[in-house]
Amino acid sequence: MMRPNLQVAALVGGIALAVPASAETFRWSSATDPQTMDPHAVNAAPVTSFLNNVYEGLVRRNAEMAIEPSLATSWAPLEGEDGWRFTLREGVTFHDGADFTADDVLFSYERAASEESDVRSWFAPVSEVQVVDDFAIDFVTNAPNPLFPDSIANFLIMDRGWAEANEATRPARDAENVATRDANGTGPFRLVSRDPGIETRLAPFDGWWDEAEHNVTEAIYTPIGNPATGLAALLSGEIDMISPIPLQDVAQVEGREGFQVLEGLETRVIMLGFGHDRQTLNYGADAGAPNPFLDARVRRAVALAVDVDTIDRVIMRGKSAPASQLLPAGLSGYSEANDAPLHFDEAGARALLAEAGYPDGFSFGLMCPNDRYINDEAVCRAVASMLARVGIDAELTAMPVRNYWEELRADNFDMYLLGWSPGTFDAEHPIRFLAATPNEETRVGSWNFGGYSNPRVDELLPQIQRELDPAARQAMLDEVSAILQAEVAYVPLYVEPLIWAAKDSVGLVQRPDNFFMLRWVTVN
Amino acid sequence: MIPFIARRLVQSLFVMLAVAALAFALFRFVGDPVSQMTGVETAPEDMARLRVELGLTDPVPVQFARFVGDLATFDFGYSYRTRQPVGEMIAERIPATLELGLVALLISLVVGVPGGVYAALKPRSAGTQALLIGTLIGVSVPTFVIGILLVFLFGVQLGWLPTFGRGGTVEIGPWRTSLLTLDGWRSLILPAITLGLYQLTLTLRLVRAEMMEVMRTDHIRFAMARGLPLRSIHYRHALGNTLVPVVTIVALQFGGVIAFSIVTESVFQWPGLGLLFLESIRFVDIPVMAVYLVLIGFVFVAINLLVDLLYAAIDPRIRVTGAA
Repeated sequence: MMRPNLQVAALVGGIALAVPASAETFRWSSATDPQTMDPHAVNAAPVTSFLNNVYEGLVRRNAEMAIEPSLATSWAPLEGEDGWRFTLREGVTFHDGADFTADDVLFSYERAASEESDVRSWFAPVSEVQVVDDFAIDFVTNAPNPLFPDSIANFLIMDRGWAEANEATRPARDAENVATRDANGTGPFRLVSRDPGIETRLAPFDGWWDEAEHNVTEAIYTPIGNPATGLAALLSGEIDMISPIPLQDVAQVEGREGFQVLEGLETRVIMLGFGHDRQTLNYGADAGAPNPFLDARVRRAVALAVDVDTIDRVIMRGKSAPASQLLPAGLSGYSEANDAPLHFDEAGARALLAEAGYPDGFSFGLMCPNDRYINDEAVCRAVASMLARVGIDAELTAMPVRNYWEELRADNFDMYLLGWSPGTFDAEHPIRFLAATPNEETRVGSWNFGGYSNPRVDELLPQIQRELDPAARQAMLDEVSAILQAEVAYVPLYVEPLIWAAKDSVGLVQRPDNFFMLRWVTVN
Repeated sequence: MIPFIARRLVQSLFVMLAVAALAFALFRFVGDPVSQMTGVETAPEDMARLRVELGLTDPVPVQFARFVGDLATFDFGYSYRTRQPVGEMIAERIPATLELGLVALLISLVVGVPGGVYAALKPRSAGTQALLIGTLIGVSVPTFVIGILLVFLFGVQLGWLPTFGRGGTVEIGPWRTSLLTLDGWRSLILPAITLGLYQLTLTLRLVRAEMMEVMRTDHIRFAMARGLPLRSIHYRHALGNTLVPVVTIVALQFGGVIAFSIVTESVFQWPGLGLLFLESIRFVDIPVMAVYLVLIGFVFVAINLLVDLLYAAIDPRIRVTGAA
């Protein structure tokens, strides 16, 4: 068993704390501990973000989110069939000294695409994987798939020999295996010790193939669940960096000598969704009455009635950005042609409601999480009071996210709040999950709780997925975007801000996907 | 005596079953574990299969029977969140909570008992008034506010003490302790004060009331009349009698200290049972929550059983009424 030796870790900890922290020890914190060290067991940001420091994929994202070579040095479309050939980097070794070859990629594919894996959706288009030689491997797809290299940036490669020797050939789902608490990657850092929920230590990997840009000799991660505790730990100097910090604490950090706040926009769009597939309202005084949200004019009235600028100024402290589509401006496939968000227009909203036959308004149920997005409940309260001004009464129900998805899947809403970050950083992603008609077989529309359905969108999605010509592809994306805007399928509100805080002496890169990469950290 | 013990044991067993049933019933409402275990791109059919694998689709009575059966055979299952064996997770966290609770209790006794004696003997002094006002604040300000104030004063502003975690720890066999390093002690001070404060005010007020009561009893008056030295009266005769009920209450309260360390552990990111329980709620980690609740139930039941048996051993009348 390769279980990290806690006793040694404890002693090392004692020494490290007894001596004043050396300049290159870097301590950081966030609210959620990665659930596992297994890169294929849970497809959640805390896990993939953390493990990108330890494991590597065939490709990786740079500071601007663009794809660049990692374990693969180049990739090209296959000739004669659909798919991609990846040429692999030679001379790469895993942390335990084993050599990296195409067989490890094949093994990782089999592991990640297995039934026990939580990342298998990335490989849905893949029909076959063939090893060409030690340093070339083919991913054959069912149809042309221009986005495949982009979609596997978080497909992390494990060593076949290590996994087989430790009986970790499949991700552990309801029990642990060695890969749950130990790791053997090719990445810039290796796992020194793992104490779930308490502390995880990493050290630079001497044999890393790339040139290190960081100057960290030891990195210690501590999850801190309570935001006040996290802020105190930063301000007292016990940790060097924390992500994210609550909006309301920004001023306190900025006001202090020796600290910096890193602000950016996450790739997450916050939006309102409607029950498109039901004839009656579920909640409020008008429960049982015909569903007014079936009328696009009512949905447009909602969009006009919500003053996004005021939400930004008052609740998001000026740090969010208005959104017009299901993904933020600047991402691949974003529709420049449909760039303009709807502007706040109370009179226009009233007029549309009257035109749709609701001059006196109506009452309905708004569902909202209260611990998932930044100030989510406050945003919902603001939305409810703005809608009340045009005569429609939202009965707000806010709940923790652990209950929220269950309620939405059970159709217990008339309108709901949702945040979406496109995992592939491409416009196809929200269309596949949010706009396509839900279909168990083709696995699309799995987050389209309101059952929005448009035949043209369903027809365009598969074409978008296989179109190789960027201009033709963009034309189709523009068309979908225009349809979604014309029908007001969703009301996009704003792009969520991303706020980290750190000591002044720390240099780091804030990537819009909220991944924290140790390889760019410098401590002075 | 033996029938009495047997009956109390059976009663305790039923209480534990009731706790287990309650714990189990609560999980119907804490949320969906599967959507916490999987990412956004997981297909609904994969989630459905995971639900079946975890036994969440079985009828509720079947799930409950399995839950009780597993507990009875000390098979605590695996955490949904970390996939570790739950027994191991709990065992790893127990030392942190016990050490914190014991030191908190110690602080409450070391300050509370002399404070109470002083307040009883000098009821009109300014010091007593200050103490009583202090204890009023101690019971009325919520624990997390006290914790955060201490963190910001001693951790952030003065920089004297760590604000989170256990600091340096040493392993002695399976027990990981922070009591053997200076750093560990520095980390322990603030959370122990925070956790012990409520206990301290309780002890202080209890000692004061009991002491004043005892001072009015006949044997103290006789001792005074006979001209025994005041010191001897106060500390040998009065304090001895005062401490019997105080020790009982304090011992009974220890279960509460363990159970209510949740807030303190959250404020100080203290890696004990309470923090584990909070994280488990966040992730709908049902196996961990279940075992935690049953364990806390067990602590309370065990302490109460012990106290009952001790009383019965001391006072035969309890056994007789019990038998009637």
